Amino acid sequence: MNPYYFASIALILIGLYAILAKRNVLKMLVGLSIMETGVNLLLISVGYVSGRSAPILSEGITPDRAVDPIPQALVLTAIVIGVATTAMALSVVINLYEKYKTLNVEEIRRLRG
Amino acid sequence: MSQYASLLIALPLFGAFFIPILKRISKSAVMPFLVLVTLIQTGIAAWVFNEVYITGKPIIIMAGGFRPPIGINLYIGHFAALFVLVIAVTSLLMTIFSFKAVSVEPKDKYAMLFLLLMLGATGMISTGDIFNLFVFMEITAISAYALTAYNKTGEASEAALKYIVLGGIGSSFFLVGVALIYGSLGTLNMAHIAQLAHLVNPTVAKAGLALLIFGLAVEAEQFPLNAWAPDAYQEAPHPVTAMFSAFVVKASLYAMGRVIYILSAVEGWSSILRLLIILGTLTVIIGEMSALRQNNVKRMFAYSSIAQVGLIAVGLALGTESGVSASVFHMFNHAIVKALMFLAVGYVAVELGGTEINKFEGLGKRMPVSAFAITVGAISIIGIPLFNVFWSKVQLILAALNAQYTWMVALILGASLVEATYYIRLIHTIWFKGEGEKVKESSVLALVMLLLVALIIVIGIYPEPFWNVMQKAGSDIFNVAQYIKNVPLMGVSP
Amino acid sequence: MVKRILAIVFILIIGFWMAKALDQVPFGQDRMLVGKYYLEHVKEETGAVNAVTAVVVNYRGFDTLGEVTVLFIASTGVAALLWRKKRKRTAKTEGSVVLTTGARLLLPFIMLFGVYIFIHGHLTPGGGFPGGATIATAFLFLYLAFTVYEVDHKIFEPLEGLAGVGYVTVGLIGLAIGGYFLFDWIWQTWGIGKENIGRLLSAGFIPIIYTLIGIKVGTELTGIVDNMIKEPEEGGQ
Repeated sequence: MNPYYFASIALILIGLYAILAKRNVLKMLVGLSIMETGVNLLLISVGYVSGRSAPILSEGITPDRAVDPIPQALVLTAIVIGVATTAMALSVVINLYEKYKTLNVEEIRRLRG
Repeated sequence: MSQYASLLIALPLFGAFFIPILKRISKSAVMPFLVLVTLIQTGIAAWVFNEVYITGKPIIIMAGGFRPPIGINLYIGHFAALFVLVIAVTSLLMTIFSFKAVSVEPKDKYAMLFLLLMLGATGMISTGDIFNLFVFMEITAISAYALTAYNKTGEASEAALKYIVLGGIGSSFFLVGVALIYGSLGTLNMAHIAQLAHLVNPTVAKAGLALLIFGLAVEAEQFPLNAWAPDAYQEAPHPVTAMFSAFVVKASLYAMGRVIYILSAVEGWSSILRLLIILGTLTVIIGEMSALRQNNVKRMFAYSSIAQVGLIAVGLALGTESGVSASVFHMFNHAIVKALMFLAVGYVAVELGGTEINKFEGLGKRMPVSAFAITVGAISIIGIPLFNVFWSKVQLILAALNAQYTWMVALILGASLVEATYYIRLIHTIWFKGEGEKVKESSVLALVMLLLVALIIVIGIYPEPFWNVMQKAGSDIFNVAQYIKNVPLMGVSP
Repeated sequence: MVKRILAIVFILIIGFWMAKALDQVPFGQDRMLVGKYYLEHVKEETGAVNAVTAVVVNYRGFDTLGEVTVLFIASTGVAALLWRKKRKRTAKTEGSVVLTTGARLLLPFIMLFGVYIFIHGHLTPGGGFPGGATIATAFLFLYLAFTVYEVDHKIFEPLEGLAGVGYVTVGLIGLAIGGYFLFDWIWQTWGIGKENIGRLLSAGFIPIIYTLIGIKVGTELTGIVDNMIKEPEEGGQ
């Protein structure tokens, strides 16, 4: 298996494991970010073409010597969305800590049933 | 002229971006401005609906003037035209409700998030590009996270946190699915994907499709990714809950249906349908069973909503045109009924200070209009004849029989039976238990509720014209060949 | 313990399926379809040298509009959730001499660099998002160095809104002139800068949109920092 694919799958799985198994809310959010990083790496590697350079068509780079520009544009969007999710999550956690005085998910359980 | 339908996207955005400026001029103008924007949006949506259903042709909006698959296109076909109207009307009604129901500051931020939630759902329903679908899904999801936590109580934050974690997993899965499909086809446009679907490697397509479905299942409230839903429904501001149930979940269900059917040419496609049928069935069973033991009425309605959503997913996964049409009909009916019920429950909560079942004792005497609205909604959702949901349940049963899923009849009837149990218990509490002083009900909200009640009964008595519209909308999702033909694809081929 | 084992089993199943599917998507091969079209036509159709920028702003303009919206939602949402009647900064130690002097000294240069990044988006790697983020770091620097520093919300919030309104307006002008929302009328109708490809004054509305995005992202990220750094005053709940 290709190292880039391997690394991206590994990152996704590590992130997923952190979300599922960790008890500290902040660690879960770190897991979420790791997972997003893995996905972004995967997108970029899908668009890579061996031996070609970045799709900026100046200084002698012709269309047949550039990699696929679409995944790079997608990743740009995905990164911004990841930032937005993390920012929202952190402000929710700030509120949560203020009310419950704990970051342990097993103690944050007033809603059930 | 038809390109002006892009105002459906531009107007809410413009409105949301304009609010910080408006706030500097006059803070009290924000909420009336919100009503104005949703009113204009309703006007545009009505025009688009009229245009699409009179000409019978979908409106294709090409962003930047690039033809698909080079540029992103919006596809406002029969389904999108119908649901864009539903979204706009529901939002309009809920802005009116927001005057009464939202007292937590900062209201200007609430107004912006409200508009963007509406925008996100509109975009999800009308987009014709799979990555653009992801972007609009995230707009919907992130504004929904913020609105869920808006009340700033501990419980609201807890619900939002659950929602964010599950939503984050879902969006990562969705993106991996997009990466797989893009990696094997080199295109993101839905019509183009459908056109080339037979070229995809079956393993890639199945894994990609399964990931896309799991990604959408968070917003579409399918088991096992719906743990956030009851909490978020319970803790979100009341108008927002009604919006979640009326159209946010419907937009995701539609997206699910669309991605499934555009890849219908893939080998081994029916195994994906079976996966969704299993998920939907579990969603129905778990939703109904949980609703049975709730003491909080808003939470009970949330579970009931989840169960209905499961039925819709099952209908979408039948793989027949009548199944999809029945699902669309059920979506439409459920949107009306649940908008009404969450509106009424929210109003009761605002006046009486809570949604626990003991607050509803004697409601028939204290707030007769709201009690009447809840009763009509409950009777309708059980599936009593002469109310709208009866017809969509009948259509779902017929479609299931046609597709040779006999056990599904038992599922639908069993679900109705369980619904009858808990809703009749609620109706009994409302009308035959307890006493109380009469509360003066707001006449505007009473009017809104009666309007929705009237709609429920009209559809219940004259289902034919509505069913015709739903069949068109259903075939818009099901008939992929027509979908490809409708999108003016440019000749980019391998 | 059971939870961890279940989690491991679950992720192994998912990992297996992802690996199996990715095996059918060979790495490093040229599978471009739409991408190839972009590379071949990007210069004549948009005037941008950087194909990624052209895809982001022109071809997939809706995505970018959505992206801007997502960030706007985040900044609005953070402000809504952390809103209290009275809030103030609680930092007690003033930054060291190195930090305060460095912040004062570097501030204009960081800003300038941010502006450089976003107006050269169509020529070099970069654009509105990285440029805006760079500008936000300049403000973050000020927050770190001075315990009392605060941005003026009366200016920042309307500026953020104004940049967003500007973006939508640019799109609507395209609708009015060219008949399509987000149509690049400067390049395709007016043809300004056709002889300038590869230099600053080219690529139609890309520099304009990236300037708006840069302002918007800068103010939004600064707003997020500001909201997260402040704490509610006693009794100000």
